[in-house]
Amino acid sequence: MNRIYNSVEPRVMDDDMLKLAVGEQGPQEEAGQLAKQEGILFKDVLSLQLDFQNILRIDNLWQFENLKKLQLDNNIIERIEGLENLTQLVWLDLSFNNIKVIEGLDTLVNLEDLSLFNNRISKIESLDALVKLQVLSLGNNQIDNMVNIIYLRQFKCLRTLSLSGNPITQAEDYKIFICAYLPDLVYLDFRRIDDHMKYLAETKYQYTIDELKHQEHVRQTKLEEKQAQQAKLEEHKMAFVEHLNGSFLFDSMYTEDMEGNKLSCLPIVGELLEPLTYRDKFVIICLNIFEYGLKQHEKRKLELDTFHECVQEAIQENQEQGKLQIASFEEKHLLNLSAIREESDLPSIEKKIVECSENITELFNVLMTLEMQLVEQLEETINMFERNITDMVGLFIENVQSLYPFCNDLENHHHEKLLEISISTLEKIIKGELDEELPDDVRTLFVDKDTIVNAVGASHDIHLLKIDNREDELVTRINSWCTHLVDKIHKDEIMRNRKRVKEINQYIDHMQSELDNLECGDMD
Amino acid sequence: MEVLKEKVEEEEAAEREEAAEWPERMEKTRPAEVQKEETIMSQEMLRDLERKLSEIKVPIPAEPPAVIEDTIDISNLPPSYKTNTPKEQHLLQVADNFSRQYSHLCPDRVPLFLHPLNECEVPKFVSTTIRPTLMPYPDLYNWDGCANFVSDFLTRVPLPDPLKLPSHLYSSTTVLKQQKGNCFDFSTLLCSMLLGAGYDAYCVSGYGSQALCNMDLTREVCPLTVKPKETVKKKEKAQPKKYTIKPPRDLTSRFEHEQEIKKQEEAKAQEEKRRWEEEERLQEAEKEKPDPLHGLRVHCWVLVLSGKREVPESFFIDPFTGRSYSTQDDHFLGIESLWNHRNYWINMQDCWNCCKDLVFDLGDPVRWEYMLLGTDKPQLSLDEEEDEGLNDDDDIEDLDKETEDKSFDMPSSWVEQIEISPEGTKILEIKEWYQNREDTLELKHINNSTGLHTDYFRPGHPQALRVHSYKSMQPENDRVMEFYETARVDGLIKREETPRTMTEYYQGRPDFLSYRHINFGPRVKKLTLTSSESNPRPVVKITERFSRNPEKPADEDVAERVFLITEERIQLRYHCRDDHITASKREFLQRSEVDSKGNKIIMTPDMCISFEVEPMEHTKKLLYQYETMMHLKNEEKLSKHQAWESEQEVLEILKLREEEEEAHTLNISIYDTKRNEKSKEYREAMERVMHEEHLRQVEAQLDYLAPFLAQLPPGEKLTRIQAVHLRDECLSDFKQRLIDKANLIQARFEKENQELQKKQQWYQENQVTLTPEEEDQYLSYCSQAMFRIRILEQRLNRHKELAPLKYLALEEKLYKDPRLAEFLKVLQ
Repeated sequence: MNRIYNSVEPRVMDDDMLKLAVGEQGPQEEAGQLAKQEGILFKDVLSLQLDFQNILRIDNLWQFENLKKLQLDNNIIERIEGLENLTQLVWLDLSFNNIKVIEGLDTLVNLEDLSLFNNRISKIESLDALVKLQVLSLGNNQIDNMVNIIYLRQFKCLRTLSLSGNPITQAEDYKIFICAYLPDLVYLDFRRIDDHMKYLAETKYQYTIDELKHQEHVRQTKLEEKQAQQAKLEEHKMAFVEHLNGSFLFDSMYTEDMEGNKLSCLPIVGELLEPLTYRDKFVIICLNIFEYGLKQHEKRKLELDTFHECVQEAIQENQEQGKLQIASFEEKHLLNLSAIREESDLPSIEKKIVECSENITELFNVLMTLEMQLVEQLEETINMFERNITDMVGLFIENVQSLYPFCNDLENHHHEKLLEISISTLEKIIKGELDEELPDDVRTLFVDKDTIVNAVGASHDIHLLKIDNREDELVTRINSWCTHLVDKIHKDEIMRNRKRVKEINQYIDHMQSELDNLECGDMD
Repeated sequence: MEVLKEKVEEEEAAEREEAAEWPERMEKTRPAEVQKEETIMSQEMLRDLERKLSEIKVPIPAEPPAVIEDTIDISNLPPSYKTNTPKEQHLLQVADNFSRQYSHLCPDRVPLFLHPLNECEVPKFVSTTIRPTLMPYPDLYNWDGCANFVSDFLTRVPLPDPLKLPSHLYSSTTVLKQQKGNCFDFSTLLCSMLLGAGYDAYCVSGYGSQALCNMDLTREVCPLTVKPKETVKKKEKAQPKKYTIKPPRDLTSRFEHEQEIKKQEEAKAQEEKRRWEEEERLQEAEKEKPDPLHGLRVHCWVLVLSGKREVPESFFIDPFTGRSYSTQDDHFLGIESLWNHRNYWINMQDCWNCCKDLVFDLGDPVRWEYMLLGTDKPQLSLDEEEDEGLNDDDDIEDLDKETEDKSFDMPSSWVEQIEISPEGTKILEIKEWYQNREDTLELKHINNSTGLHTDYFRPGHPQALRVHSYKSMQPENDRVMEFYETARVDGLIKREETPRTMTEYYQGRPDFLSYRHINFGPRVKKLTLTSSESNPRPVVKITERFSRNPEKPADEDVAERVFLITEERIQLRYHCRDDHITASKREFLQRSEVDSKGNKIIMTPDMCISFEVEPMEHTKKLLYQYETMMHLKNEEKLSKHQAWESEQEVLEILKLREEEEEAHTLNISIYDTKRNEKSKEYREAMERVMHEEHLRQVEAQLDYLAPFLAQLPPGEKLTRIQAVHLRDECLSDFKQRLIDKANLIQARFEKENQELQKKQQWYQENQVTLTPEEEDQYLSYCSQAMFRIRILEQRLNRHKELAPLKYLALEEKLYKDPRLAEFLKVLQ
């Protein structure tokens, strides 16, 4: 920190400054003249150097979208900011500034080389987004905790690290520690790490490192497991039968059902809910629906894949034909053009030009015919696919809907039984014949017949609602998926068509204008 | 009246004969007449007529045969051609006799073809004209090869009279020399070859159809039009997928289509009809000229009987065409006689139904009358015919007997060895295989007809050459070089050259270059005369193609760039995007013009014409264009340099190849111990080392105690005293030896010293009178003596040093000696 900050007026990064810098650092000599003539857009700049400018605050850089290299060293910057738009940045130099905290780098995913040399940083942090980081320079800072090193383990590409001039380096096993925890590192503090050092480090910290590795491994596997689960769920969701491969629906029926839960405390009700009775039957039906759903999903997927494949094939073939046409046309056209250039007789030139433009028109017609043909063919195919997929979805819904009533029946059956038991229990309670003790909140239900009937009815209603809701959800989702899919296919086809037509028109226009230019040139 | 009729018929016959000689002319000039005749005369009448005519003896016009007109140099022919041996004379007499009997017995048959004159006007029996010869060419081992050779090699000369047997039959050697002959010459040659190859072949003299005799194949189906049976390729059509798009709708009117089809069908039908009619007419026209001389045309062909050489069935070979015919074929109308090199047979069967009913059982004397007895042909195997045969004709039996009496062997052929020299044949291809060459040349293929040389190399050539095909080793000519691309840094696969172009194909380059084509212009003549190397041809155009670089977007990935160097233009064509059908293009015009103010124009919009599939903003900028152009200019330079380097490389390779061709060095395998010099040396060195080692071992095994032990009585066990004594003796002996050695050295040392001193004394005394030569002698002696003294001194010193050690070593050794150890140990 040799510089005196306060003696110089801080400067603002304004447009003029940037323009000047861009102009100075842009192309030189002949190209420079051209650049001046045309002006350089900030977004075309790939590298920018703004050192020794007394900049206090990073600003106005949002236009440099494609910047790859940015040098802001030797300024008086205090905060890292205003770099969010520079996502293409590979090389960032912020050395010799007054930065205290590492921040504002979360969007710079392409960054490979980061220099924060000679700042006031005391903690390595907020670098998680920089997955491609290879070189990190943090020398002459105030890092004093070894834990910071462990943070750097996540950067798999990191090869060069500079920490010299930090308090941390005073620790006696500083080098060995770093070598142990960052085994992929090649250069530390501008020196190559020799194998001996690596060996030493390995042996010294073997135990802790192994532990660390184990932890990381466990974390990794957990993450993977979770991801796999997520993926599976995602797939089930695609099949619209998520959470039907178990007792989830059944359980969810009881989560909001206070009375039902209470009633299940009744001994005989408990028996009712025993395995192989109500719950199991319910789960079996759910499983049936689930299996069926997955199967249907496979079918739909296959259908969709075949459809895409066929469409792709058709488009490919069409493209090949188009290319062929253009190639043959170009061959002829070039010959014609050179013939026109060599021709000196005016009438014959005109004749040839006319011929050329006729050729162009013909090409246009051919290409457009091809495209129109394809459009018609694809339309037919798409319609067919639409019909088929809608049929499939309809069938699926129909079948699922035929399965759900079983659930309802089960529930109704259960309800009746429950009611019966409840009433008999009530009678027993009233008669005082009940030999078992009931929890108080359950006992409150058994005051009179209305209460108990109401309670049982409410439970029943909730159950039915849940089942219906699940059914409705399935049906609506699959329907919306179907419509979306079809819409997307139509839209894509329209887009494709427009793009091709545009392309053809553009090409034809170009050819025509080229011919016209030639004509003009000849007429002169 | 009878005479008159005969006369008329004679005239007619003459007329017909004439007609047969010029059949074409007759067809053209007088077709009507012929047709008339045809309609008048039937087959029976003809046959009748034939018989009648044969009775009339028409003197044969003494017309020299056509072949004689060709001058045959008979002076060089061997004597066997010019004279007849007694045996042959005899044979001729037998033949005459046979002929006489035959004409007596069968007066209505034409005379036999027995002993025509040869080229030296000497009568020779036909069987002796056949000279069985096996050709030394594998191609001529099978009958079809022989037949094709004969038909291809010889040119047909028609018989002087198509109805008569020829008067001459030349030897096969003469025929081969002349490369032409009539059917008899053809057959004789072919028969000779077939007999040589082991076939049971015969020359057949008989009657053939007009087409056969005239070698007329117009009626045959052309072998080239016979299409090979089309292999029905059933392409397994991939099961159409569910959503495969339907073909575009057919918008043409179905009605029109139908009408069109109808029309076409009508036209087709008409065409068909016309063609049919045409064909009919043609066929009729073709048919409508039956040969007036049917069954009278003399022909000679070859019969191959089954049995030998695994021939399953007897067949005929027409020597003119080399085609084989079954014995039932319509072309062969009758057989008079047949012969091979052993015997001669007359056909006694009726040929009313051509040759279809003939039985080729030559052992059957009823069907086949043989001339010589005692041939290898089996006698008749069918006994049912025997009686019939015996009763049939007594005269024939007589005839038999007569020949039997004179049981006689056929003399050997008078014809010289038939030789077909491959002279005049062209060598079309030469293939040479090599091994162990240092230049890794494996195969050299020279195609003489095109002059193309192709060298194939194994991997490992210093220039990674794989194939080199060329017509001349001169640079800048047509040549193709293929390389092992993995062995080359630049990934070159192939380089093709023509005088004006060079094309290179690459693979697996980091810059994705796959093709480079260079057009050269004519070499500019420089004023200063320089060699071709320093005056490269000017490059007119360079075309480079690149394969797709997946890392770049298609619009920035150049597919082809063309440097039109003379026009100062650069054309770029970019790759086509996956979902597009057009590709971007760009063309740069390099101009260094000056604008009105005298400033140099750096870049103007018209210097870059570009078509972009998806117009982008930054590419419109002059700066971008300028930079691209600068870059391209650089690339152009590099490409030009590359072209130059390629040329240099070609020169280098050619030079290297020439050197290699001259050097002929061989690669010697490291396992080839005899030829590999290095390994030989190494092996010898090893052997030497081994030998020395062996010597040392032998030495080490020297037994110090042996001489002392020998003094003791053998077989007894050593006592302790003996052992000690032994040791002491051995040691003392060794000591003595050491001392002796020291003394010896000392004595020699002293002697040398004395001699030197004497000499020195002598020198000092005679120093004044000495000649320079003597002085020199003295000096050289001195230096040598000093050297010897020094050496002796050194030896003495060393001996003094080592002697005690050696003594101790021996003592140690003796202690450890197993024979003495036990005693000495105790002693210690």
